[in-house]
Formats: sequence, structure tokens, C-alpha cells
Amino acid sequence: MTNVVFWWSSESFWKKTAIWVTAFMFIVLIVLTLDSLPKISVGSEHVPAYSVINHRIGYEFDKTRNIQAPVIGPEAPLFGKKLSEKDAEALVTHGKKVIQGRNCMGCHTLLGNGSYFAPDLTKSWLDPGWGSEGIREELMLDFLLNPTDNARSFGSDRTMPNLHLTEREAKAVIAYLKWMSSIDTNGFPYNFPVIEQEALQ
Amino acid sequence: MNSISLNGGQKLAIKYFSVAVALFVAQILFGLLSGIQYLAPGFLHGVLDFNITRTVHINAMVVWLLYGFIGSVYWLLEEESQTEISGLWLGNAAFWVLTSAVAVVVVVFLLVQTGPGDDFTRWFVNEGREYIEAPRWADIGIVVCLSIFLYNVAATFNKGRWSGIAGVLTLDLVALAGIYLAGMFYTTNISVDQYWWWWVIHLWVEATWEVLVGCIMAWGLMKTLKVDRKIVTTWLYIEVALMFGSGILGLGHHYFWIGTPEYWLSIGGFFSALEPVPLVAMVVHAVYDSGVRHMKSSNNPAFAWLIAHAFGNFFGAGVWGFMHTLPQINLYTHGTQWSASHGHLAFFGAYATIVIAMFYIAAQYARGKQQLGDDLPDRGWKWKWALGLLNLGVVGMTVALLISGYEQSFIERAQEGSTWYGYFAAQVHPWFIQGMEWRMVFGSVTAIGIVLLVWDLFTIGKQKAIKVKAGIVQT
Amino acid sequence: MLEPVALKDFFIVFFSGAMVIITGALYALLFAWSRLWKKPWLMNAAYGAYMLLVISVLILGQTAHLNGFWCWLVFFMLTGYLLAPHGIWKLCVGTHMQHKQDAPIMVTETSNSEYSKEGVS
Repeated sequence: MTNVVFWWSSESFWKKTAIWVTAFMFIVLIVLTLDSLPKISVGSEHVPAYSVINHRIGYEFDKTRNIQAPVIGPEAPLFGKKLSEKDAEALVTHGKKVIQGRNCMGCHTLLGNGSYFAPDLTKSWLDPGWGSEGIREELMLDFLLNPTDNARSFGSDRTMPNLHLTEREAKAVIAYLKWMSSIDTNGFPYNFPVIEQEALQ
Repeated sequence: MNSISLNGGQKLAIKYFSVAVALFVAQILFGLLSGIQYLAPGFLHGVLDFNITRTVHINAMVVWLLYGFIGSVYWLLEEESQTEISGLWLGNAAFWVLTSAVAVVVVVFLLVQTGPGDDFTRWFVNEGREYIEAPRWADIGIVVCLSIFLYNVAATFNKGRWSGIAGVLTLDLVALAGIYLAGMFYTTNISVDQYWWWWVIHLWVEATWEVLVGCIMAWGLMKTLKVDRKIVTTWLYIEVALMFGSGILGLGHHYFWIGTPEYWLSIGGFFSALEPVPLVAMVVHAVYDSGVRHMKSSNNPAFAWLIAHAFGNFFGAGVWGFMHTLPQINLYTHGTQWSASHGHLAFFGAYATIVIAMFYIAAQYARGKQQLGDDLPDRGWKWKWALGLLNLGVVGMTVALLISGYEQSFIERAQEGSTWYGYFAAQVHPWFIQGMEWRMVFGSVTAIGIVLLVWDLFTIGKQKAIKVKAGIVQT
Repeated sequence: MLEPVALKDFFIVFFSGAMVIITGALYALLFAWSRLWKKPWLMNAAYGAYMLLVISVLILGQTAHLNGFWCWLVFFMLTGYLLAPHGIWKLCVGTHMQHKQDAPIMVTETSNSEYSKEGVS
């Protein structure tokens, strides 16, 4: 046997291949990222502006995409107070910071990511468990302020601990959840039955 | 510990390994607490809630594996570069800074737990993003310490000798530190938040960590089985091409449902199907290698853990990953116990096993280059039982969580459309509860395994070392 | 456009998905053993494993609704898994050739065998 080295099995060939493959894939990822980021920025088609909390949010079946897609309905201000774009952003931002500060992801999932000890919050604003549109905001607020006594665990004895949210913090969290429920998640979670509410048009 | 024969980097590595073992124990302890809370929700309710026990459970895991990797690199650094380590004092200082920071973060997690919705909380208490909950000040500390580590590595190779392994390792560490920065900013937009968050999580776990393990394995093969350097290096390049070729865009399988455009469904699906290819390559190459040389291991525990790595990586990452990765089915399994099942086996199989193998290699050398073969004084019952119990425990937990996850995707997701009612309907179903009970049983098996593992790591080779000194045993 | 898996097909999808990877590895393993030990009957077993893989991929394709554009995924899996072990084996032989002592034991003993021609060509 001779000590022949084929080009396709040589160290230098694979060194170059490794570098080129890695660089190529990374560049493709950068290009896709540059394309995706504007499409998920606030105010884009998939991720609505924060002022969406001034509107009714619903879902309708989109035949071409074969999924339930979000629809922004007529005005339905959160807690009856219409906010400017700037105030809406401030409120939703506060909500996100509360959600991070209280480590909500330690039990819940948001957009399906987090932990699995408590329900997914992606569309919790639209959950039929709140009964009806009219009492939803009040129920959510009561729940967040005292989740142990107002537990909504449907037969499970797993209850949320009291995280001592102030009313301002709780309202901000609700604003965040309302905004998040309007994000177009390509149909996740599947077949979600939205709470009964008035017409979207 | 008798560490006379160790070089500077290796002494530092022993420090990293010691903390890694302690954090491994913490991971399992807090995993047990989290598991109990599934079965008895009142347990520590309002005192040490699930969000805290689970946070410590997963963070301890990330940090102990990282410590294991850093230790492994310090371990091989001087031998691979054939020179003394550059800036060892700085590396030592970084070790103490990093370890103090980790301790402070854990204490704050346990005692302060959470904070108000302001920037102070995120900077000093809890960032509240899964896996990277460590507050921002600690992030900066981690980046500084990783940079010092990177300096140690690059400067040492530069002073001594650059090899193929050295080059891949250094570039991989640059990527590792750089990618961490992608998670270090605040944004209200959760889609953008999770877009970059996955860069840290996925590109660490499914790309840079894999290559780091590849470097450590390459060096290990050369040292223990005397495989030729040229061959090892060529195969390292092949693995890098395959892993980065499939893994970088494999990121797409996390971009199905976070608000991102629909084309990610196809990209994620395709590259997920490619991700098992490096595993197939490893199967063929391992068979070839075993035919080429007659393996005689001088470190049976390390060798056994490497075999556990091969199986665990294949089943945990390959089989368990592919089973639920296509978007058509992931729509139902995303964010259920399926992910927990996959996560347990994949992290253990791909990473914990190989770091444990490194622990044994370190123990062997630290006690005077012992032969940890068949003739251990106690016939090695401790390491064998630790190996058996840890693997049985993790596989058992994985199967138990799989059953719970299957039921959850069925009832909560498919039938009830993921409402709160649907969630709890699935959580109280007998299948789910029994799955959680079995998870607890096998979690306890894992805990017994770790006790034995720690005991063994502290004692293995010691008796023999004494006998060698006394001239009783010939080596 | 996605056509999500039907409820009744959940188990089939999980099972066939797992079988794709397991039979893929089994095929690779038997293929490598057959070449290493020069046992042609093992190669039959290897292709048997590949046939199981084909069945698994087709069942997965049907139940997970891999239609239209997704047909390419089925095609790539079928050809990719078939060819990968061949390519990797060739690479093994090629990379180890530079060091005579590293050639498989079988090769050095019967260096003009059909196996070595096939493996090195």
C-alpha cells in the first residue's frame, strides 16, 4: 500500500471545507436575520404596534395559510382608557419588566418557551376560561393581585403563589398579555378556541 | 489530593472540576425539589416556589457543564501547546471571581428570588429569561472571565505551538463568548427577545458546545488511544463541517412559533433532518477505528462514560430530537413535557457524560497516573454502580416525561386547543401524574448515583497510590 | 402551508420519526461492520435496515403530511441516509491511508481483496 493522500481525504481540504461551510452557513443566517428582524419588529405584519391594546383582538381562519390568524378589531380600550402609542409602549414595557422581574418564565411558557409547571401565556388574554369579555379584565386583575385565593386551576391543587404585584404592575402585565395575544405565531397554539366576544369588523 | 505531577493548567482544572461536581450535586438536589412540587404543589409553596427551584436546577446545569469544559481545556492546554500556560495567575484570579459571582447569584436567587418590574431587578436580582436568568452584572462578569480564559488559551498556543485542535478550539471559544452577548440586552418585543435568546441557547448547545466537545474528544483520542494527530485533526475538521453545516441553520426549528416569518418552518424542518448526519458519521468512524486498533483502556471508568456519551448523544439529541422536530408535529409538542424529556436525555448524554469522563481522567492523573483498569482494590464497584444508577435514572426520567408529554400533547394541545382548562385537564390525568411519579422514582435513582459518583471521585486510586508508594504494587 | 398531524396519527408520527434515526444508524453500523469484517451477509442485513428506513420515512411522510414542497425532505432523507455511510467509510479509508499502521487489520492482511479495492477506489 502506498502512502497516497487523495485530495478529498486530506487535512487541508477538510480544513478549508470546515471554514467555508461554517462561514457560508453563518452568512446565510445573517441574511435571514436581516430579513426576519424587520418582519418581527413592533408595528410589522406579524407583531402589531403596542397601541393594539386599544383594540379588540380576535382570530379568524386563514384558508391559504391553513391556520387561525390574528385579526385586529374595532376599538376596545384596555380598562376603558384609550392610550397614545407612546403611553401604550410605556405600559407594555412595564409589563414585560414585571414579567421578567417576577421570573414568570420559571413556571409559565410565553410563545411556548419557558417552563411547563403552569399554563402557556401566549393567548391567555383570549382564554375562554375568563368567561366573557365583560368581566375578563376584572377577573385577570383579581387573579394577579391574589392568585392563591382566586386560583383558576380547574381541579388541580397547583396554585400560583402570591408574587405581591401592585395594581399598577398587574395592569401592566395584563396590557403585555393583551399585546402578546395579537402576535401572529403561525398558528401556535393550534386550534385555540378564543373567548366569546363581539364582532371583529 | 496529591497533585505533584500536575502542570499549572491542570491544577487550575482540578479547581474548576471540583466546583463543577458541587454544582452537579446542586442541580440534582434542586431537580428533586422541582419534581416533588409537581406531585405535592403545596411543598415549599410561597417559600421556595417552583420558579426558583427550577431556575436553580437548570442554571446549575449550564454552569457546571461550562466549568467542566473550561477545566477540560485548561487540562489539555499545556500538553497541547507544549509550553507553560501564559498568565496563569490571571486564570486563577478569574476562577475565584467567577466562582464568587456564581455563589452570589445563587444566594440572591434563593433569598431575594424576584423583584419589582424595574431595571434594578434585571441588573441585580433576576433577568427572568429561561437559562440566562443570571442578572446583568453577572453576565458581564461571565464575559470578563471567559475573556481571560480565552486569553490564557490563545496566548499559550501562541507562545507554544498552534495545532489544528488549538485553532478550532480557540475560534470556537471566540464564538462561544461572542454569542453570549446576543442575550445581553433588554427589549420589550418578545419576538425579537426570543429571536436572539435562541442564538445563545441553540448556538451554544447545538453548535459551539458540540465543537468544544469534539476538540476535547480529539485530544483524548490522541492521548489515550494514540491515534495519529493528522487523522484526528482531519476528522475534527470533518465534524466541524458537518456540525456547523447542519447546526447553525438548525436554529430554524426554534423559529416556528415566535412570530417569525413562515419560511422558518421549511428551513427549520430541513436542517433538523440534517442534524443527525454527524451522528451517523460518528457511528461509522467509531466502528472503523475499533477495527484499526486493539483498544486497551487504562482508565475503565472514563472509557465507560465515553461509551455512555456515544449512546446518550445518539438517543437524546438524535432520536428524541427528531421525533418531535418537524413543525407538523412540533405544533403540538412545543412547550410540553416533550421538551423536558428531550432536554434531560440530550444534556446528560451529549455533555454530562463527557465531562464526567474528564473528571475520571483528572482523578487518574492527580493521583499519580494510576491504572484505573480491572485491578482496582474494590473491583471498581463504586464507579460501576454510579455509572449504572446515573444512566438508569436519567433514561427512566426521560421515558416517564415522554409518557406525560405524549398525554399532554394529546389532551391539552390537540383536543382542548391549549386553553387553561385544557392545560389543567392534562395535568390531572392519571397518565400525566403517573409519569411524574415515575420521574420522581428515577430522579431518586439519579440522586443515589451522584452520591456514589462523588464518593468514587474522591477515593478512586487513592488506596492504590498508597500501595505504589509503599512499593507493593508494580505499575 | 402546513397540514398538522391528525390526532389519530400522533403515535405513528413519533414512532416512525424515531425509527428513521434508529434504522439509519443501524444501517450505518451494519454497513461498517460488513466492510470491516468482510462479511457480505452483513451487507444484506444493512440494506435490510435501510429498507426499514425507507418504510419509516414513507410512513412519516404520509402521516406528517410531507406533501408538495416537503416531498423534497422525504427525497433528501432517502438518498442522504443511503449514501452517507458509503461516503463516510470512503473518508475513513482515505484519511487513515496515509499511515500504514492505521489501515484496518483486514486490509493489511488481504491488500488485494475486493474489499480494499472497493474501499479505496
